[in-house]
Amino acid sequence: MRTLVWLLVVGLVALLGIALSQLGALDPLKNGALTVASPLERGLRTAASPAADFLDNVTDRQDLEDENRLLRQQIEELTAEIAHLKEAEFTAADLAELAEVEESRPDDQFLAARVIARDPSNLKERLAIDRGSSDGVSEGMVVMSEGGSLVGVVSKALNDFAWVTLITDPNNNVNAMVLESRAQGVVSGSLHDGLSMELIPQDAEVEPGNTVATSGLGGNFPQALLIGQVAAVRGEQQDVFKKAEVEPAAGLSHLENVLVLVSFTATHLVSP
Amino acid sequence: MPLILFVALAQVATAPYFPLLGVTANPLLVLLMCWAVVRGPRETMVLIPLAGTFKDLITTDPVGVSVLALLPIVPLAAIRERQPTESEFLATLAVVAVASLSYHLLYMMILTAVGDGPPWLQSPMRVLLPAALFNALITPIFYLSVRWATTLSEMVRPSIRVLG
Repeated sequence: MRTLVWLLVVGLVALLGIALSQLGALDPLKNGALTVASPLERGLRTAASPAADFLDNVTDRQDLEDENRLLRQQIEELTAEIAHLKEAEFTAADLAELAEVEESRPDDQFLAARVIARDPSNLKERLAIDRGSSDGVSEGMVVMSEGGSLVGVVSKALNDFAWVTLITDPNNNVNAMVLESRAQGVVSGSLHDGLSMELIPQDAEVEPGNTVATSGLGGNFPQALLIGQVAAVRGEQQDVFKKAEVEPAAGLSHLENVLVLVSFTATHLVSP
Repeated sequence: MPLILFVALAQVATAPYFPLLGVTANPLLVLLMCWAVVRGPRETMVLIPLAGTFKDLITTDPVGVSVLALLPIVPLAAIRERQPTESEFLATLAVVAVASLSYHLLYMMILTAVGDGPPWLQSPMRVLLPAALFNALITPIFYLSVRWATTLSEMVRPSIRVLG
């Protein structure tokens, strides 16, 4: 009987808490808790990182690991540059379109932020950054890696912190295109299965190694932001659409710093 | 209490960096379940609301989600208490696995209700079962720690009485 009463009381209080959270009434409390907890979290993460690195690269030597990290960063930067160059090459053929792109995308302004936590649940791909609405961060802003590739979108902005939903989150969809063939599709996250690009027309030419970038359709992301490279293409001849596995350009599992694109405002299209 | 809060903090800070089978462990759930089995469910009735609220405050979850998802620990421990088995450790492993499954199911239901639902079809094989296995794997660490701490406190208590 006592257990039942406890379950009812605690359950009702928890439901009340959820309702208040949904209304944003507990945001100041969350902001305060993160202010206190983030230095401790950082300390714990620093203390645990040697063990995490060891498990991650059991067979690798430290110098190889450092070299690999540097090379990965260089590849990401160069691939992002190639993506922009390819995009510029394509748009040069269509000056009118270029003018539209320039109009819709003023000079990019970034805000550097440090990753302070990752969501520990197995069902979401999110991370917390140490910048919030007091720094000009707002929900819907695009977040990029230091190398310039897409990381995700700000899904919740507290006063001093913000939560970023990664592109690998199962609920995240990004309108994308394969730069080499201009084939369009939607890049979606999934549970522990990386990224996949879906809804690619069957007649589109897509090959492993092709570059995938944002298409800008829908207005939620700027155009030509590097997402990753095609790792494999799936789909039979009789299928309506092709599906491609995409390897994210940004090392999403070990992000330490990110850039928030504060100059871009997502457009929420309303159907006529 | 500080230990429980520390485990919640450590889980948020470090668990995502130690994945196994594509999932992360839930040390807070395992510790609370072991605590409830070894020391009885009464203490966990206080610990669950505090630990769950603290965890929700420092993650992206709405405050109360973890508390609701952790609630089944108490009835599970009560059932376990009424049905003694030969091996308490094996029984603990079983209830941790069940608690892990119920935790994720409740968590998914609540997230779906607040419009942040995960893909239900993919979840059983990719999250629920691997997470239950991972949590069962780390159970010995927490079970033995709680058992040792309980034995130690029982040894210290009579000597304090004698001294008093």
